[in-house]
Parts: sequence; structure tokens; C-alpha cells
Amino acid sequence: MGKLAHDSVLLAAAAALSSGIYTASFADDMTLAISMRSLSNPYHATFARGGEEFAKSVGLPFEVLVTEGNSEKGLADIRALIARTGGNVCINVDPNDSPDAATIVEEAEGAGAYVVTQWNKPDDLHPWDHNPNYVAHMSFSGVGTSKEITNALIDAMGGEGGIVAIGGILSNVPAIERKLGMEQAVADTDGKVQILDFQPADWNETKAFEIMQAWLTRYGDEIKGVWAANDSMGIGALEALRQEGKAGSVPVTGIDGTEAALSAIEAGEMAGTVAWDPMWTGGMGLSLCHAAATGAIDVAAEPHEHREFYGTGIVVTPANIADFRTRDASFDYNDYWAKSTGQIQYQ
Amino acid sequence: MESINWRALAPIGVFFLLCIVIAIFSPNFLSVSNAVRILNASAIPVVLVMGATFVILMGSIDLSVEGIVALCAVVTASLVLNDTFSANLGFWAIPFAVLAGGIIGAANGATHVFLKVPSFMVTLGIGFVCLGIATAALGGFPVRISDRGFRALTLGRTLGLPNGIWLAAAAVFVAYVIQERTRLGRYVYAIGTDEITARQSGVPVERTRILVFVLAGFFSGLAGVMAAAQLGQGHALIASGRLFTTITAVVVGGTALSGGVGSVLNSVVGVLIVIVLTNGMVLMGVPPFVQQGVQGFLIIVAVTLALDRRQLLVVK
Repeated sequence: MGKLAHDSVLLAAAAALSSGIYTASFADDMTLAISMRSLSNPYHATFARGGEEFAKSVGLPFEVLVTEGNSEKGLADIRALIARTGGNVCINVDPNDSPDAATIVEEAEGAGAYVVTQWNKPDDLHPWDHNPNYVAHMSFSGVGTSKEITNALIDAMGGEGGIVAIGGILSNVPAIERKLGMEQAVADTDGKVQILDFQPADWNETKAFEIMQAWLTRYGDEIKGVWAANDSMGIGALEALRQEGKAGSVPVTGIDGTEAALSAIEAGEMAGTVAWDPMWTGGMGLSLCHAAATGAIDVAAEPHEHREFYGTGIVVTPANIADFRTRDASFDYNDYWAKSTGQIQYQ
Repeated sequence: MESINWRALAPIGVFFLLCIVIAIFSPNFLSVSNAVRILNASAIPVVLVMGATFVILMGSIDLSVEGIVALCAVVTASLVLNDTFSANLGFWAIPFAVLAGGIIGAANGATHVFLKVPSFMVTLGIGFVCLGIATAALGGFPVRISDRGFRALTLGRTLGLPNGIWLAAAAVFVAYVIQERTRLGRYVYAIGTDEITARQSGVPVERTRILVFVLAGFFSGLAGVMAAAQLGQGHALIASGRLFTTITAVVVGGTALSGGVGSVLNSVVGVLIVIVLTNGMVLMGVPPFVQQGVQGFLIIVAVTLALDRRQLLVVK
């Protein structure tokens, strides 16, 4: 009896699976998909929404794949999606780790699927070496924007004094780039600003909270500014300052442009953040991919700065937050490179 | 009952030794303001280890800590004045969040006991379910608390100490009374020491196990309330990293993972050791890439000193 039940379940599963393949491979509709780490952070949640908006605008089926920080799962899901759609798919992917991008591109090339990557890829993997399936790579200049936000922090400090800096996971590319940009901006002050200490808090607000507490003991009023490599850690540091009644008296900056950071800027408690544009990276990544797949653009004929490009990171400070809040964030899906700020540079 | 030997005091010795070493390198460490900061950073972990200690004393493990804390922080943030939902329960949000923690704890306990699934797997699974619910309910965005009065729960001070420290002290008092003065507390030791004998002596093993998981859920729920008040928001990732601190503190404090040996007071010392270590590394200026190594090394030393290894028949 048990055996019988087991067999019929298997049979039903096999039937479901094969019918799924059947309908998918004979459907005319191209599938649009987004792959990323997790839906539990605002950046990626908005990134997925950007993709969904584009899919709605062209009336195509849309799927979200989530790696949960696991490269193996990410790759397996993408392989399954490519197999299920017979390669008739456009994927806008934020690879879990840089090496994953190479595998994803290889899979897509083999099946005739189209891929746009975000943020993470090996430096020697280029879209123009994999025409036409590897459409483009989009990123944001970690060093450049970090330098800009650090300058905003230094301005808020009145141009001199000691800062403490909270970094991300030491081996992450954005963490490395943002730290470098911060160090360059500090070096440009010719010693007027000093980095009292740098500690990684692994993008985690609770860790940043505890480190900030220890710094208050170690440096006390020597701290004239707090630099954080992302908004979560900036908020963690801000809450540690609040506990001591110092929220607002020591400027704090973050990066990412989360709602928490934007409100803190409005409340005069943070001195700035950098707003990425995940609606744009999510939507435009798919739009570009879709354009390549449908032949609207011939990627092989496009110059390199249209294949690997930086988006626009907006430095938001108390001076421009009102404008930022009321800005027109809409964009034209067919104006592919309007928000590009140049070809990606390798350090 | 327990015979007092020097090893029972080992965690306290490790704690003081650590303080002396840090103070030599960084005199600021001994300042009153730093002591308050350390106690403040210890508040949430202390509440968490109160529940975890009972579970571990029983020979089980609770890996759902991060999930329950996150979900209860989200419940709290959603029920007080916030930017996402139209609720304004103020402090009345607390019983709801703590109760939610207890219900999830009951789900842990019931699944573990009735389906005979190891607590390791049950709590891991339920923890993920909680994170999933927290993520799905908010679509990945945080709920931000705009109720300033509610945030006084951790930001305000009473008799010069942040309120979070008083809450943690109250949690320790309650846990200590349960451990020492109630039948439940005694049953936990009996089950942890030898479940078969306990059962034969009439200890209601199943009921005790479920109750202990409910208790752990209550404490995790309270920790969720405190996390929400401390950071002014609730979101799915708010508790990331808490599980490691919790289990480490319980073990460093001298409670055996095999069950039966330890105390909630030991775990308080364990939390202090872990937090002082983090604080001290930054004060002493230990380079970041060395910190994790030193931390791992010192934790092993503390655990070795805290337990009489010869008394352990089985090490798993």
C-alpha cells in the first residue's frame, strides 16, 4: 500500500514535470527573469520590482530567482530556468559571487539565452567576448561614489578632525572599493582629516552598534565624523550615538539610499548617503536584455561603453534631499544608456 | 545537589582576567561609561541566553533564535506607531510580540516532542519559516518605528542605567527563580542529566520539553521587542548574528551542550565574556583580520576551563 502510494506520487510528479516542459518549450512568450541574493533587503526587493514593472510593460511572463547567498543554488535555478524555457529567456542577474558570472554566461551561450549581469563579475569576463548572449554588465563606481560621499562627510565636519570608518565584509568587492574611495578622499585633505580607526562590521547594523560603542569609549569626543560603507551600518552607529544623546551632533554617512537613511538625513541625524537606482537596474537590465534578444539592438555593433557601464549614484545630503524626494525617477525603457555614467574602469 | 568546585567559578575568573588584560592596554576600559555601554550591549544577548540555557540544559538546542527575534521585532514595529501600518498600541505591543514568541516556541516544542524530530532540525526549520514570514510580510522592507515614547524602552534611563539593562536584569531574575524555585527548573536538570531515569521517576518529560521551548520563545520574543526599540525598526535581518553569540555565550559560561550541567547565571557571565571581548578588541586596536582568530581561540580556552572534562562521559 505504502509502495503503491509512493509510486503514484512519483508518477504524478513526473507527469506534472513533463507537462510543464511541454507547455514552456512550445510557448511563444519569452520569459523574463531576475536573479539575486534575497528578497529580504530593500535594495534587492526594489531591484525585483523594477524587473517586474518592465515585464508588465511588455506583457511577458516574469520570474524571480533567489540565491539566498548560495552560489550553487543560484546556478542550479538559472540552469533549470534555461532548460525549462528552452533558452527562450532573458535573465538580469546579480551574481552571488564574481566567478558565478562566468558560469551563468556559459550556460546562457550554450542555450541561446540572454544575460545582463549586475555588480559582480570577474575583471577578465567581458560581454563583447560573448556576443550576442552576454548583453551587458551594469555596476556603480564604488571608488568614485565613495569618494563623493566621504567629501560630503568631511564638509559636514567643517573640513577637519578624526573620523571612524565602518566597513563591509572585507573580501566583498563593493566593500573594498568603498574603503578605497574613503581613503582617497581622506588623503586629499592633506592630514586635516585622520582615520582614527577602521573596523569591518560585515554590513550588519548590530555589529556596527557595538563597534561604535567601543569607539565612543576609546576616542570619545575625538570622533568628529562616522563613515559607514552602507546605510544599515550607518543606522547601527547612529543608534549607538543616540543612546549617548549624541545623535545629530556627530555627522554619519552611509551608502545605498535606504528609506531609513533618507529620513535620518531629513531629521538632521545623518549627513548623507548615496542612492543607487534599483528600479532602474532591475528594469533597464531586462529592457536591454530583451532588446538584444528581440533584435531591437545589435549588441555586437555597440561600443564597449554600452556593454559595461556605470549607473548613476546620487549623493544625497541635507542640502539636496528635498530635491531628491521630488525628483522625477521615471525613465524610458528604450533610452538604454541615458543614465549611464561611463564605461567601467578596473582598478 | 551540585557540589561547588573551582571550575564552577572558572567563567568568572576568565571574565576578570580578560578585564585586567584589556584594562592594561586601554585604561578607558574601566570607565563607568564603558561599563554602561558593555551592559547595554549585553542586554539583548542576556535575554536570549535565558531561554537558550534551559533548552541546552535539557540537552536540546534552539536554532530558531534569529527567526523568532526578527519576526517578533517585526510584530512589535508593526503594532506601535510606524511608517507602514496604521497601528498605535504603544507599550501594549509588547505582550503581543512576546506571546507571538511563545507560540512559535510552542510550535518548536510540539513538533520536537510529538513528531520526534531532533530539536536541531525542528528549530532550524521553524527559524527559517519565521524569517520567511518576516520577509514576505514586508516584501524586504523595514517597518520603522515613529513612536518616540516606545523607544524609551531601550533609549530611556532609570537610575542612570539604560532601561534595556533593567529589562535584562528582570529577565535574569525570572529565569533564576524558574531554575531554582520551580518544579520545571528541577525537571530540566533531571531530563538533561538522564532522561530515562527522569522518566522512570515520573518526570513529565514531554510536557517539560514543550514548556521549555515556550519559555525560550517568550525570551526570544522579548529580545525581539528590545531589538526593535533599540534600532527603531523591525525587519527580517535585524537579528542576524545573534544565534552565534547566544550559543557561544551559553557554552563559554560553562553550560554543557550535552545537558544537565550549568545555570542561567553562568550564561550571564558567558555573555559578558563575549561582549567584553568584542569591546576590548576595538579598544586595544587589534587589527580586524586578527580579531576573529583571537576570538575563536579565547572561546575555546574559556570553554575548556569552564567545564570539568573528566566528568563528561560523552562528548558530542
